[in-house]
Amino acid sequence: MKKRTTVSASISILLAGTLLLSACSDNSGNGNSAANSGGATGSTNTAVNAGADNAGGASTDGAAGAIQAADLSKLPAAAKQRTDTIIVGLTDPSGAFTPYFQQSGYDGNVSSLLYTPLVLVNDKAEPIPGLAEKWEASEDGRTYTFHLRQGLKFSDGSPLTAEDVAFTWTILNDKSYDGDSQVNTLGIKGSDAYKEGKAASIEGIKIADPQTISVTLEKANAAALTTLGGDVLSKAYYGKDYKQGDTGYMKSLSTTPVGTGPYKLVKFTPGQEVRFAANENYYGDKPKTPNFIYKTSEGDTWQYLETGEVDYASFSATQENIDKLKSLGFVNIVPYTPSTYGYLQVNLEHEALKDKKVRQALTYGLDRQSIYVDAAQGAGSIANIPSSPISWAYTEEGINPYKYDLDKAKSLLDEAGWKEGAGGIREKDGKKLTIHYLGSKSKNTDIFIAVAKENYQALGVEFQPEIFADFNSLVSKVEGGDYDLVSFSTPMLTDPSDGLMQFVDGEVKGYSNPKFIELYKKGLETTDIEQRKAIYKEIYQLLNDELPVIFTSYKKSVYAYNARIENLAVSPFYGLAASLPQWSLKDVQ
Amino acid sequence: MSLAKGELAGPGKAGAKAKAAAKSSLWSDSLRRLLKNKLAVFGFAVVVFMFAVCFLGPMFSPYADNKINMALMNKAPSAKHWLGNDALGRDVLTRVLQAGRISLTVGLASMVLSVLLGGLLGIIAGYYRGVADQIIMRVADLLLTIPSLPLLFIAGALLSEWKVPPDYRMYIVMIMLAIVGWPGLARMVRGQILSLREREFMQATTVLGLRSRRKLFNHLFPNLVPLLIVIATLNIGGAILSESVLSFFGLGVTPPTPTWGNMIDAANNMIDFEKRPWLWIPPGLSIFVTVVAINIFGDGLRDVLDPKKGR
Amino acid sequence: MSTYLIRRLSYMILILLAASFLIFSLYALTPGDFISGNIKLTPERKAELREIYGLSKPLMERYLTWMGNALHGDFGYSLAQQKPVLTIFNEYIWNSFLLAVVSTFLTWFIAVVIGVIAAYKQYSWFDTIVMLVIFGAMSIPSFFIGLFLIKIFAVDFHWLPPGGMTTTGSNATGWAYALEVIRHMTLPVAVMTLLGLGSLTRYFRSNMIDVLKQDYIRTARAKGLTERKVLFTHALRNALLPAITLVGFELPALFGGSLIIESIFNWPGIGQLYMKSFGLRDYPLLMGFTMFLAVLTVIGTLLSDILYRVADPRVKL
Repeated sequence: MKKRTTVSASISILLAGTLLLSACSDNSGNGNSAANSGGATGSTNTAVNAGADNAGGASTDGAAGAIQAADLSKLPAAAKQRTDTIIVGLTDPSGAFTPYFQQSGYDGNVSSLLYTPLVLVNDKAEPIPGLAEKWEASEDGRTYTFHLRQGLKFSDGSPLTAEDVAFTWTILNDKSYDGDSQVNTLGIKGSDAYKEGKAASIEGIKIADPQTISVTLEKANAAALTTLGGDVLSKAYYGKDYKQGDTGYMKSLSTTPVGTGPYKLVKFTPGQEVRFAANENYYGDKPKTPNFIYKTSEGDTWQYLETGEVDYASFSATQENIDKLKSLGFVNIVPYTPSTYGYLQVNLEHEALKDKKVRQALTYGLDRQSIYVDAAQGAGSIANIPSSPISWAYTEEGINPYKYDLDKAKSLLDEAGWKEGAGGIREKDGKKLTIHYLGSKSKNTDIFIAVAKENYQALGVEFQPEIFADFNSLVSKVEGGDYDLVSFSTPMLTDPSDGLMQFVDGEVKGYSNPKFIELYKKGLETTDIEQRKAIYKEIYQLLNDELPVIFTSYKKSVYAYNARIENLAVSPFYGLAASLPQWSLKDVQ
Repeated sequence: MSLAKGELAGPGKAGAKAKAAAKSSLWSDSLRRLLKNKLAVFGFAVVVFMFAVCFLGPMFSPYADNKINMALMNKAPSAKHWLGNDALGRDVLTRVLQAGRISLTVGLASMVLSVLLGGLLGIIAGYYRGVADQIIMRVADLLLTIPSLPLLFIAGALLSEWKVPPDYRMYIVMIMLAIVGWPGLARMVRGQILSLREREFMQATTVLGLRSRRKLFNHLFPNLVPLLIVIATLNIGGAILSESVLSFFGLGVTPPTPTWGNMIDAANNMIDFEKRPWLWIPPGLSIFVTVVAINIFGDGLRDVLDPKKGR
Repeated sequence: MSTYLIRRLSYMILILLAASFLIFSLYALTPGDFISGNIKLTPERKAELREIYGLSKPLMERYLTWMGNALHGDFGYSLAQQKPVLTIFNEYIWNSFLLAVVSTFLTWFIAVVIGVIAAYKQYSWFDTIVMLVIFGAMSIPSFFIGLFLIKIFAVDFHWLPPGGMTTTGSNATGWAYALEVIRHMTLPVAVMTLLGLGSLTRYFRSNMIDVLKQDYIRTARAKGLTERKVLFTHALRNALLPAITLVGFELPALFGGSLIIESIFNWPGIGQLYMKSFGLRDYPLLMGFTMFLAVLTVIGTLLSDILYRVADPRVKL
């Protein structure tokens, strides 16, 4: 199950990653890559897996159900010998460590330790000070002014001033900028002229004094604060070769980052590890553990956790995974529910699927309990609305659970005019009812296909599964419109509106319901939680009935870590990166 | 596949004797000798057994419909389910047998295809030389420069783009294996022919003024057979293994259709390794036994058919 | 011979040109591109980026640009890693080479020894058992045996590390470093050797059987030479001769890396890199690597043809 994504404003500061083949396939029932659990950047591809997709807005169930290590003496020698270093797996950092200019989310995980953004967000997605100690927005919401902390320094010891911030915003608006930062979509005043080469600087960016900088937008944008409040690049270092219209030289600096984060890069060994050491020029408290290593590791991570080669890993919460973790004895186990939901995207441009009754029939006729709960051995539950169960907006009131009901599904199809024809396959106007399903290669897909094929056969629907070895092919197939159903999962969701984005921005093609759009806008107009709850309830009831996509499941995960580590927490937005400076290793005999 | 030229040579029975007599004695002689090679006979018996069991077995299974039964999920072997149940409660024994049908078919068909393709092109190139040789060998060189696995990946993606129904993917897998496999094979066959052409017995056929076809089929071909057999047997085994690798990458047969390869792949994780040997031992052992048996048999056959191995 | 060589070399260049176009087209034909994998981007931004990367240009134009640069030795920058393609190769390829060289050496060595002994004792118990074991070794899927060995040797007995090339965080240098790498490469080398052993042993065995029947061996024995001397000087040399033609074919394999072994054992090799780059459609890297292999294959083929001629002068090329 893959993400198909739109990303909330609050996490747009972070890099989106390109999906890797590996990231797609190791999400099988057994052991997500620890890699992804290192997931610092919420919007990266790591959101596919555990870690980064930790409970959005509510890291609630963290403490509840946690299991403490039973016997620390079982700690493998390899882990015991490390006294000043913590190791976490990361699928595949490639060495491009400049924020905004990197292509892979794994590199984003690395740079999130090396850089601190101007504005951070807390676990409730509220902005809190980062490099900027405060900021204000103008009445019309078009001008933002940031006030930097005093005495900020880059890891090379040079001072950080408003000049650097201005440089960062400027280069992101360069014509040749090829990253996926959203800064260039904000419409900073004068940015178009700069892009076209008609102006030598961006009019809307104004430096008041070395500690104060303001930026004016063409029009107000709610996401501007966190988008602008990203990492800061040193003008002296990254800007010395910059000529307007040519950012190509940035490539040569990608392996030698100069940052502002709690750690600095010591050494990157391609395909093996990324070593960090505490950054003495970091403005905050010095990290409690002086060294940190991201170990490049892929696939089944059991062997690395069991042999003590990594200190942290995340797994899907099957009973046997938990039992096995318990039997290890030396890890603390913390269950959590990622704030995502899985769904089957329905091709609404296909005639048969335009009919709501057909979509409902396909939902009733699919034994989701078997696929997502039983076969997943408890590491999942059934979804019926576009919201994670840990969201404050989650509700089951007035929500149709679409419990598996073959007769109901059959009668819905009958009503829709699909009658059983030759060979038991339903037909309408001489056309057979066939479902062309796309999935990427994983154990979950195998399970889905096996069950769905049997279910839909019983329903009189011809089910044609197709499996893709790599995610890129799958996506381009979906873009080409040659499918009926495809399995996806959202990235980490924060605000209830995040989970609805795909129905608004045209990603789910062919769904337009004025009532839904109206409600969606209404939901964003107010900040009153009770009012919003009511609005989202209405939206969920609407979507639950209309089924523009078929909702499938929620994942359940656990993360396990070497019990020597204290103060470990997983932030819904920064993954491990936020609490990492506080991690400490306690002594064991 | 690194066996090569020069495995065999020399003048055989293909002398000037009456051909009918030569032929019948060659075959009966060979059979007699084959039967003496106990290991080869055993290998053959195992192969036949595997085929018989896989193709007939599922007919007697009460679980042949592969129904999903969550209540039996991952159950250990029992009196009712001799080899236990898989992650969806399906009977492992039945699935292994059904998988065998496909894996064996894939192996056999892919072998036939690539031996025909590679053998034919190799013979044409080696025997007729000239332009045909140039064209065939240059195309082979070209194909050899493209690494096979990426080629399979790309082919997989393209097949989907060209809307080849997934049910036919199995056959496509076979064709892909053959296409990837033929250049190496053609080179080998060609090399063998080049070497044979220079032998005295072939030169004698030229001196005797034999017709081209007769030279090819009566004199050259019998000397090629042992090589082709070795290649063929290696190829069946190789194709069965390749199928498992394709499954590992997600390029193989689409589930729920079982193959030995995708059954092993489904159990290829630490937990199943530790806790549920009945998921991976049956398909693993099936591949193992089949490939070993085919190879033993092929080895024996080669020894027997080798024309220069008189007594 | 020299006209032959000149002809072959010109063919080689033609083949490489054709191969480069074929490979380029194949990658271009593969659905999805470097941009489409990043599903966070808006359609407008995607179009903009395709423009920046030149992906929106016609195939022929892209190919000619690539070829033009490649002829100047410029293989471009990896789109994902933002480093020159050749730099990245240099970072990964030697790790793959290390595995390949050691396992190839072991494979050949063991295959020759076992092949000779098995041939000498043809149809003995030793021969039968050895051949069974060897067929067995080549009959297990590589990904499966890899995980199996990790389970036994790394997880259960803690004898060997579960993967990677060095111990994470280790600062070992010199001998300690070498030892560390050796420990890490033991399992992958063992698997690679095991998988390659079968066909080669079989090949040497049958060559040796042929040779042992030759007249000159009988002559050598009649002269009263020791059996050891007959076996290892006279027979072995003649049995090995045809095998040198195989050497050429090993060439690309030495540098090509192993997709499966490297990913199972987490070995930082080029095979793994290739897989990931394919998933991302990192075209410059893919093209560079595939062409590199193509060059090696063509050279290897030529090499084996020449060696073949050297080994068997009767053959006209």
